[in-house]
Amino acid sequence: MDNLHMGRHISGQFNEDLERVINNVMHMGGLVEKQLSDALAAVGNNDEELAREVLNNDYQINAYEVSIDDECTRIIAKRQPAAGDLRLIMAIVKTIADLERIGDEAEKIAQVALESFSSKQQDLLLNLDNLGRKVLEFLQATLDAFTRMDVDTAINIHQTDDSINREYEALMRQLMTYMMEDPRSIPQIMTVIWSARALERIGDRSQNICEYIIYFVKGKVVRHTTAEDMKKLK
Amino acid sequence: MISVTPTALSDSPNKLDLNNLSPEQVALNINNLNLHYGNKQALQNISMAIPKGQVTAFIGPSGCGKSTLLRCINRMNDLVDNCKITGEINLHGTNIYDKHVDVAELRRKVGMVFQRPNPFPKTIYENVIYGLRIMGENNRRVLDDAVEKSLRSAALWNEVKDRLHESALGLSGGQQQRLVIARAIAIQPEVLLLDEPTSALDPISTLTIEELINDLKKEFTVVIVTHNMQQAARVSDQTAFMYMGDLIEYSDTNTLFTTPMKKKTEDYITGRYG
Repeated sequence: MDNLHMGRHISGQFNEDLERVINNVMHMGGLVEKQLSDALAAVGNNDEELAREVLNNDYQINAYEVSIDDECTRIIAKRQPAAGDLRLIMAIVKTIADLERIGDEAEKIAQVALESFSSKQQDLLLNLDNLGRKVLEFLQATLDAFTRMDVDTAINIHQTDDSINREYEALMRQLMTYMMEDPRSIPQIMTVIWSARALERIGDRSQNICEYIIYFVKGKVVRHTTAEDMKKLK
Repeated sequence: MISVTPTALSDSPNKLDLNNLSPEQVALNINNLNLHYGNKQALQNISMAIPKGQVTAFIGPSGCGKSTLLRCINRMNDLVDNCKITGEINLHGTNIYDKHVDVAELRRKVGMVFQRPNPFPKTIYENVIYGLRIMGENNRRVLDDAVEKSLRSAALWNEVKDRLHESALGLSGGQQQRLVIARAIAIQPEVLLLDEPTSALDPISTLTIEELINDLKKEFTVVIVTHNMQQAARVSDQTAFMYMGDLIEYSDTNTLFTTPMKKKTEDYITGRYG
């Protein structure tokens, strides 16, 4: 966070306010990351207890979102941030919205662990686990880039989302084949589809967070921009 | 299906390309302006074009030269000893520092309002028509019309219409400042210079004046110096940031307050140690 020059405001209180908000966003990010990795572990190990824990812990993420939102509103009202400070606050408000949704997606994934799968269907879960691992790495790298406000990393991560999408599509095709071969397994496969979809959405939301990092550091809005144009930002 | 043009949403409708203004768009053209007080250089090579019919704000820390620059525009610095000015300020293609320029005539075209309201110890009515009287206007009907029109433009008419012949000193600070603005616009200047017009006023009077500034730009070109950055952000179309006599950054207000180009500007508007 050094490249933010957060501590250089003439108002020490403003420094403290911003630091507190940033710290809270990091805690929230850490919690979201843990929720996702727990959800994936619960699915991989068929651990019902861990899955229930994930479902029970989501309220903490929601609470973070509400309280960070509140703090940001207060900062805007009291400090009227401008330029980089304003972009930081805007980036944070949007980031926490996406983090909260990632938390919700983790919940959906944990639901899979509560279903029972026949041994024949286990390799379905294996493929889901592969996608999950990739998405988790993606989220971790995003949160890392956020912590350091590292725009180059953010651009790189942003561009790897394509590989997640490809893997997701491959998994979908596979699941459709299963359903055609064995219609009785459709209810279980539907659950797997929902969670694959959830993983794909987490990829998209991490990508959004990368866009907010770029917006904060460069002051450029890169939503709906082509990969080529984005490379020029580096 | 609703169709929107994204640029129309994100860009200010008044956004101009400040480096490529057509001559009709320019009210004032400042060229390589340097100003020395004795040995001290207070303005360094300032060049900028101030667009017509818009509000341009000068911001910067104390002593950065923003008031000095404003005062150059109607030659207030002529009265300062040891003050030496080089460069040009063009109004309609005429350099206002040319020898043959009549300063009184210049100040008729370029009105000024100061930090503290300075009404004359006369009636409200006499205050507004002061400039017209000096110009030799004595027709009662013309003067009456000018009073009403100016006070309406200055958003003061409804508050004072029943006591036009009472002393101006009985008005509140905010009202006095609007009266001074009415006095400045009664002679129909082209440019109105405001030197921290609200720094002595309470927040509500400040908002009234800000609202007024927004109306005034329909008729006049407004140049405002302010210490209050939020005020510059609220009222101006373009903002110039000055630091130690230099013009650091000059761009449209929306850009300057969200994505300034220069680090000095960023540090100043976010309240950091430079």
